[in-house]
Amino acid sequence: MLVLSRRSNESIVIGGEITVTVLEIRGDQVRLGIDAPRSVTVHREEVHAEIQRANQSAAEVRSADLGRLPRAPARD
Amino acid sequence: MLIESERLGAVEVDETKILTFPEGLLGFPADQRFALVDAGDDGTYFWLQSIDDAHLAFLAAVPWAFFPDYEPELSQADQDDLAITDPSQALVFCLLTFTEEAVTANLLGPLVVNAATRIGRQIVLDDSNYSARVPLAGG
Repeated sequence: MLVLSRRSNESIVIGGEITVTVLEIRGDQVRLGIDAPRSVTVHREEVHAEIQRANQSAAEVRSADLGRLPRAPARD
Repeated sequence: MLIESERLGAVEVDETKILTFPEGLLGFPADQRFALVDAGDDGTYFWLQSIDDAHLAFLAAVPWAFFPDYEPELSQADQDDLAITDPSQALVFCLLTFTEEAVTANLLGPLVVNAATRIGRQIVLDDSNYSARVPLAGG
């Protein structure tokens, strides 16, 4: 992994079109600003990983699980 | 068309009911086409069977049947890419996970599909407080 030191308000440029700027450093928290083309999705790593794990468990569904589905509550 | 499914056997699929996820689902980038197959008779549950992999299938639920207040918010980029300008144009499904204790729905990463084009994406709701494992309550 490439490691760079940056101060507040300094940036790094990735691939010529993605800019990550350190906006604020407070204690153990860093606020980052990300400028990227719309086609590049940017997500918090832990959210991405959590959905990926949930997908993996969802893929373990068996046919017999159908019998465990609750009936949707009746709507008025 | 007839497709093979490990869980459902051979299934005749209406080609207009094939959903395409150009980016795949998170963790499953290679599987982009899924057949939407009714699971149950009340329009709440569906199988999403991969067209290209007989072993890959998910059970999904329409979230509002259980979570009437659920409000996934699409980013402008998601709206543009899916060509969705109004909620009525979207189909929304949440994948289900079965554990010994519960059946849970992934409200953090819903599948949003343009009902007309049948093209969809798994949306990452970064700034929401939704969980990827919310138990379904039966009624």
